[in-house]
Amino acid sequence: MKNLLGRSGPKIVILVTSIFFLLPLLTMTRFAFQNVGVFDLSWSKAFDKWTFSIVTKPFEDQYFTDSLYLSFKIAIGTAALTLGLLIPTAIWVHLRVPKARVLIEFMTVLPYVIPAIALVAGIVVIKPHARWFLNSDLSLIPFYTVLALPFTYRAIDSGLRAIELRTLVDASRNLGAGWMRTMSKVIVPNLRSAIISATFLTVAVALGEFTIANVLLKQTFPPFINEYRMREPRAGYALAVLSLLFTIFIFGLLSVALRSPSAKSHQNSPKSRELS
Amino acid sequence: MTSISFRGIRKSFGLTVALEALDLELQPGELVSLLGPSGCGKTTALRIAAGFEIPDTGIVSLGDNDITRTPAHRRNMGMVFQSYSLFPNLTVAQNVEFGLRNRKIEKAKRNSRVGEMLELVQLGELSKRYPHQISGGQQQRVALARALAVQPDVLLLDEPLSALDAKVRATLRDEIRRIQTELKTTTLFVTHDQDEALAISDRIGVMSNGRLEQLGTPEDVYLRPASPFVARFVGSINELPNVNGSGQILVRPEDVTISVDENELTMRGTVTRVTFQGPVTIISVRVDVVDQLVNVHAASGSIHTEVGDRVSLAVAPGRGIVEAA
Repeated sequence: MKNLLGRSGPKIVILVTSIFFLLPLLTMTRFAFQNVGVFDLSWSKAFDKWTFSIVTKPFEDQYFTDSLYLSFKIAIGTAALTLGLLIPTAIWVHLRVPKARVLIEFMTVLPYVIPAIALVAGIVVIKPHARWFLNSDLSLIPFYTVLALPFTYRAIDSGLRAIELRTLVDASRNLGAGWMRTMSKVIVPNLRSAIISATFLTVAVALGEFTIANVLLKQTFPPFINEYRMREPRAGYALAVLSLLFTIFIFGLLSVALRSPSAKSHQNSPKSRELS
Repeated sequence: MTSISFRGIRKSFGLTVALEALDLELQPGELVSLLGPSGCGKTTALRIAAGFEIPDTGIVSLGDNDITRTPAHRRNMGMVFQSYSLFPNLTVAQNVEFGLRNRKIEKAKRNSRVGEMLELVQLGELSKRYPHQISGGQQQRVALARALAVQPDVLLLDEPLSALDAKVRATLRDEIRRIQTELKTTTLFVTHDQDEALAISDRIGVMSNGRLEQLGTPEDVYLRPASPFVARFVGSINELPNVNGSGQILVRPEDVTISVDENELTMRGTVTRVTFQGPVTIISVRVDVVDQLVNVHAASGSIHTEVGDRVSLAVAPGRGIVEAA
């Protein structure tokens, strides 16, 4: 009996969690793509009147392309700023002040603990003094960089822990490479997985953030979905389903990208005989 | 071939003094080992030579040039590290080529130099492999080829054999010496393994607590240790009471004479163990007066004794050093 529970336990947990997550999504999908009145959405009509033509409707909205374009621009900017700041900082901390790692870790986790709305309250206070900055659509970039820190710092930090950073840096410098060449030819290529993870996580945060964009009245994609959903409920939810699928696609790409070619060749090649 | 010298080098990390007044000069083409226990300052000296650390005081010179503050990447040094330091994202050939690219050497020359170096370490056929596809011993050979490819003024070896198993270690040790002699590259070799240091060095510097205790040929260091620390650290040692004064005499097992005649020599004792080791037999004797165990190395077959036998011992004339009480 105990054995049976031990074997099926994990399966039951996976099943229950899947239902918990999938049911609302399925309901949302039915609402969006089944051309049936909400009161008629019973089990018996589960396969009736599905239509995907509604998917194209949001594309016709004049703000759709603009908001999506802005969100992508901000996502790319956020990823660039995050990597540009984080990689040198994390390397510097690892090499020069390893004792400060605890402090940095604590600081980077703060955006996770402090809700975005607190950050917004701060922005409201400085708004009269920094209008020139906040008026720009790209002013969201530094805020999103902060919001993504808990995920991105951890990705880069664990990447650095996985390599012999000090030895690789010393070896590179010993062979005549300056800091720039050491970074571009030695460190960054060996942090490939960590950098890809950090980039995708940053992009996911930047594409999905609603609170700050809404308060600063920026017409990025999440506020657009929110506003469009009120105007066009079914097409709005269809768009939400699409953006969810897009995120899943991005994370699918991430896991494919993380299977590096050298890792594959590692599995395929027999380890050569020790010369003696 | 270039000389490198350390003059009055002091280096501390916080309150810990890693090196104190280090004076050392390596002649062109010479291989000098720095030998000592962990934390004795030998690796710090090597890192100062490489430019990874800047000394608090003192001067490091390469030939006649003061390089104390020259950044690591502008010194022409080749270094092999203790842990595997090959760049995981580059193939064996690309690793060896790395230093040559930094020196902007043209492609044809680079390729021929890489081929030459890989032949030198007998790994020509592995040039397209990645570091994780070759063994630890092979990785260190590639690291050696990479360090030598740039024709360094000085080769720095930071315990390059310590992560390898015994058989590979002995082979690679001899190979390092062969290559170093062939290329006549001035070499500073850091190790805590006395056998390694004795086997391949022109001179050995024995270090303790940030100080150079003795600098001399392997024979000097082994046969004529300058201090009790050197005597104890290099080779095995017996500690006997000094019958002619205070303190004790430190003497090597092969410098103790043994006789099966209990009355022939100055100290008497009982054999407690006899270990045959091929060319020598180690005889352990408990000395009566001081109740102390003394190991004697006797040529196998030169003496026949068994556990429980009564024997007499003496320190060979002119051997052993006196340690004050």
